[in-house]
Amino acid sequence: MTATTTAATVTPVGRVLALATTEVLLILRNKTVAVSSILLPVGLGVFWTFQFSSYGDPARQAVSITLQLAVALAMGIYITATQTLVARRQARVLKRMRTSGLSDRGLLVATLAPSVVLGLLQLAVFAVVNVATGAPMPVDPLPLVLAVLGGLALVVTAALATSVITPTPERSQITTLPLMFVILGVGVVASLAPAEGWWPALMLAPGAAVGDLAQLAMTGGSWTAATAGLPAILPALVATVGWPVLFGTLALRRFRWDPRH
Amino acid sequence: MTQTTDRAGPGATASPDTQLAIAVHGLHVRYGDFEAVRGIDLDVRRGEIFALLGTNGAGKTTTLEVLEGFGTRSGGTVAVLGLDPATERAALQVRMGVQLQEGGFVEELTVGETLALWQRLVDRPDRPERLLERFDLRARRDVSVGKLSGGEKRRLDLALAVWGSPELVILDEPTTGLDPESRRRTWDAIQELQEAGRTVVLTTHYLEEAEALADRVAIMHEGRVAVTGTLAEIVAAQPARFSATLPAEIADLPELRGTTQRDGERVQVRTDDLQGDLTTFLSWAAARGVRLPDLRAAPASLADIYHAVRTDQMEVTRP
Repeated sequence: MTATTTAATVTPVGRVLALATTEVLLILRNKTVAVSSILLPVGLGVFWTFQFSSYGDPARQAVSITLQLAVALAMGIYITATQTLVARRQARVLKRMRTSGLSDRGLLVATLAPSVVLGLLQLAVFAVVNVATGAPMPVDPLPLVLAVLGGLALVVTAALATSVITPTPERSQITTLPLMFVILGVGVVASLAPAEGWWPALMLAPGAAVGDLAQLAMTGGSWTAATAGLPAILPALVATVGWPVLFGTLALRRFRWDPRH
Repeated sequence: MTQTTDRAGPGATASPDTQLAIAVHGLHVRYGDFEAVRGIDLDVRRGEIFALLGTNGAGKTTTLEVLEGFGTRSGGTVAVLGLDPATERAALQVRMGVQLQEGGFVEELTVGETLALWQRLVDRPDRPERLLERFDLRARRDVSVGKLSGGEKRRLDLALAVWGSPELVILDEPTTGLDPESRRRTWDAIQELQEAGRTVVLTTHYLEEAEALADRVAIMHEGRVAVTGTLAEIVAAQPARFSATLPAEIADLPELRGTTQRDGERVQVRTDDLQGDLTTFLSWAAARGVRLPDLRAAPASLADIYHAVRTDQMEVTRP
């Protein structure tokens, strides 16, 4: 068999982009996935913005921002990423792609990137809505940036870990529910909780750091001494790093590329 | 075959032999308490078609997965194109094409999109047009993979495996579920690979496929290689058989070197000396004036050997 060659030069980044753009195309092509991962979270996020109007109160706005972050992270990214991973594994697409020139890391990045990009787009929509409705701006943007980055790390590693215990794409609708509700619920409570007494212990729950960081971004005081004289932001920072490390370690040990094993 | 190393884990590579595309020695694969592969040796020469036969659960796919760099071995040494697949999979990916046993497609993508994506993912240059043409998929270019027939999916699968004509092609049951015509065309494509100097390793349930394609075969059973070699070697090592129908009134039989089995009027002889025993039998029949209209004689078939392995009649070669 004689291969008619073409001068194709495929770079590692080019390969990741090729698969990632295909994944985006597939999300947009699948109406059910498109609605559940784009329209529903955006609709809910915008609805909550108007429902829980902050009336110019930064503390109330922190709750609104937390809800928006939790919706984009948990409903937008976490669920879509888990579903995509499990669907590709069950259909042996991950196994097939491992026989191409993609590295394992590149394969995961390409498979997860579209969910992350769509989630970030949702956050961009929320930001525009917040600005357009004259909501209060953060007094300290750094915790908000950390909330976004830490939240991304949390839901991406959680998706990898959840895929381990999810046998079919359909089952992901159940296996993702507990963490989704925890992120939504705990995040909102944390955005309201003071940084005193036993409240920082709330950071033991995944997603709480997002709410806490949103509150610190809106009301300030990140570096004010709180429990045990430590900076108020510290528990949230530890949780922001800790949960992704835990989920990432679980995923690293147990992640399956092939439904057979 | 000499076992060079035992219980060596990933990273331990057999000394590269330029004549061998694959060298496996003492391979063990364990999943928890279950040992799927129990110490096998395999040598695949460059440019040959090598068939791995065996029942479901014999360990064929597990062995292939180790060769592809996807399975974790718990012992033994493996060299594929001189590389250890456990630690050098990236280098191996460029030189090896793999056809999965099933699936592996994003069913929402069309055939054309699947090939176009593959072109952007694989390091071996090739053209979708050539493969659409070669595997008779041109008319299906704009059809979603999910709407292809089973045979068309297998052809697309093969097209991805042979993309860019890799040095080594591993095919896991390439013709399972295909109609005879599709099977024939797949065989042609596999033989073309060999003519181009490529090495092909395939697994199959079909004995006629191994007989039609393979230079050498290995028959696996319960995680072990029961028998390996060229078809001629394997067949020659097994007893041939002949059979005939005798009139009921003939009660006695001649003394033969082989094993004689009589079931009513039917006599069946399994022998390592087909010519000698057949001559004795025919002389004996001629002396009694017995006609043998349905006399049949044949060397052992691969089916006989396969059956013997499956029913534990053949001693399993232990490494």
